[in-house]
Amino acid sequence: MNALTWNVFSGGTVTIDLDVCTGCTTKACLSACNVPNLGSALTRGDDGLPALAISPDRAAKGGCIECLACDLACAADGLGALSFVLPTPETDAYLDALRTAGDAPGRGW
Amino acid sequence: MAKLPEHQGKELLRQAGIVTPAGHTVESASDAAAAARTIGGSVVLKAQILAGKRGLAGGVIFADDPSEAQTKAAALLGSTLYGRTVDTLLVEARCTIERELYVAVVSDTVARAPLMIVSTSGGVEIEEAAAAGAGETVSGAVDMRRGAPVYWCLDLVRTLTLPEPVLVALARVLSKLYDVYTGYDCTLAEINPLALTPAGLVALDARIAVDDDALFRHPELHIERSQEVGDRLPTALELAAAKIDENDHRGSAHFVQIDPDGSLAKAQGKVSIGFDGIGTGVSMAVMDELVPLGFLPMNFCDTSGNPTASKLYRITKAILAQPLIEGYVFASCLSSQQLDVTARGLIKAFKEIFAPHGGAPTIPCVFSFRGAWDDVAIELFRVHGLSAHPWVRVLGRDSTERELAEAFKDLHARWRSERGMAVA
Repeated sequence: MNALTWNVFSGGTVTIDLDVCTGCTTKACLSACNVPNLGSALTRGDDGLPALAISPDRAAKGGCIECLACDLACAADGLGALSFVLPTPETDAYLDALRTAGDAPGRGW
Repeated sequence: MAKLPEHQGKELLRQAGIVTPAGHTVESASDAAAAARTIGGSVVLKAQILAGKRGLAGGVIFADDPSEAQTKAAALLGSTLYGRTVDTLLVEARCTIERELYVAVVSDTVARAPLMIVSTSGGVEIEEAAAAGAGETVSGAVDMRRGAPVYWCLDLVRTLTLPEPVLVALARVLSKLYDVYTGYDCTLAEINPLALTPAGLVALDARIAVDDDALFRHPELHIERSQEVGDRLPTALELAAAKIDENDHRGSAHFVQIDPDGSLAKAQGKVSIGFDGIGTGVSMAVMDELVPLGFLPMNFCDTSGNPTASKLYRITKAILAQPLIEGYVFASCLSSQQLDVTARGLIKAFKEIFAPHGGAPTIPCVFSFRGAWDDVAIELFRVHGLSAHPWVRVLGRDSTERELAEAFKDLHARWRSERGMAVA
């Protein structure tokens, strides 16, 4: 997979499958990425595909403000090429313990 | 703030050079006897729970020999004081007390400085004694640039009616106590009583509270976060939720369970729901409207200060992880917070949590977006299909707290009715 990947400050990883992006006509992630007063973390690369406008290191230090705009825009108006993974290991462990104890987390889950 | 148990606080005092009685922490009656044997003579057994006035509740008892220490420790260990199980005792040498003093350094938000307080009337029920005018009390704000050298402390206490050698010794203790206060980023460093004994001043108790936000600077204290939530230990979910806010200070996600096991709601005949608010004031106002309608938030959560969407996503997962909840309410104040960012975190969480149901919430949920970018937030809910779900209501800036609560009640009634359940 030809992917664009960067880490975020709170602990998580964004991955864009650029192979999928080649078929995307909207590039909704690019217009969605708008950090007030700071510009954008994403830009259009020379190949027309999404690229980081800042260094991965800067993105990981808070340059990507984790607004999830790219994530939702890609899901709604793009081709679902973007994966914004935000681990929640402690909550997951809590839920696992609940399930083990036989308590369903949240009615109807 | 993270309160330290007495034995841990005393260790900090000892490191600073303040005298404390010889002592050992034990977790069994036999170890209590062994500790008493090592110390020799009469000992005092002190329950190590994070609560004041332990003596009045039977958590501080004396023993004249190892055998008696073992018997009394066996009775005290496993007992419950102020709702907490006693699993550790501090066994200390019993001191001959000539006089009890009170000393403390506390963060004074009015003076915006550490406040040093000294009273010649220490011991139990100090607040009541002070209110009754017992003893002499002096206090002074410490200039943090200068600190609290012995000469400054001596100047503070010199008007107290105490023998001069005691005043000098007291000033030395105060200066060292201030070192503990600053060295461990405390909000409170208190010794009550500071006993005047034939051997000099001895700290018989220690109340040390460390600023939550400074805990990461003190790994040597081995505290992951505050050990107390009001008068109880944190729940597993509170500890999990605290991780979300631990190292990311972009906005807050303060999560506390009001009714962790739902027992309070059950006792009051109310329905447990999950809750998130932007701002404590609006949270209280919304709760005031929800409770009379038959709903009791299982948790309080404040996601204000412009948190990232990722923080909203994570904390929403924690809120909705609570078993037994029959709904969810999100309320914003008329905030300057960028609500479209907030909305994105909520949308991502709901889509993921209810993915088995096509992203459609299976419990009644009411969202109220009022403030900056609220129109964008509402539009995002529409675009991503959340607004259209039968168990979702999205309200805008023209809605009141009462309307929010009534909207939730209507939704919940329909939800229960559809399931053949009695309407709350």
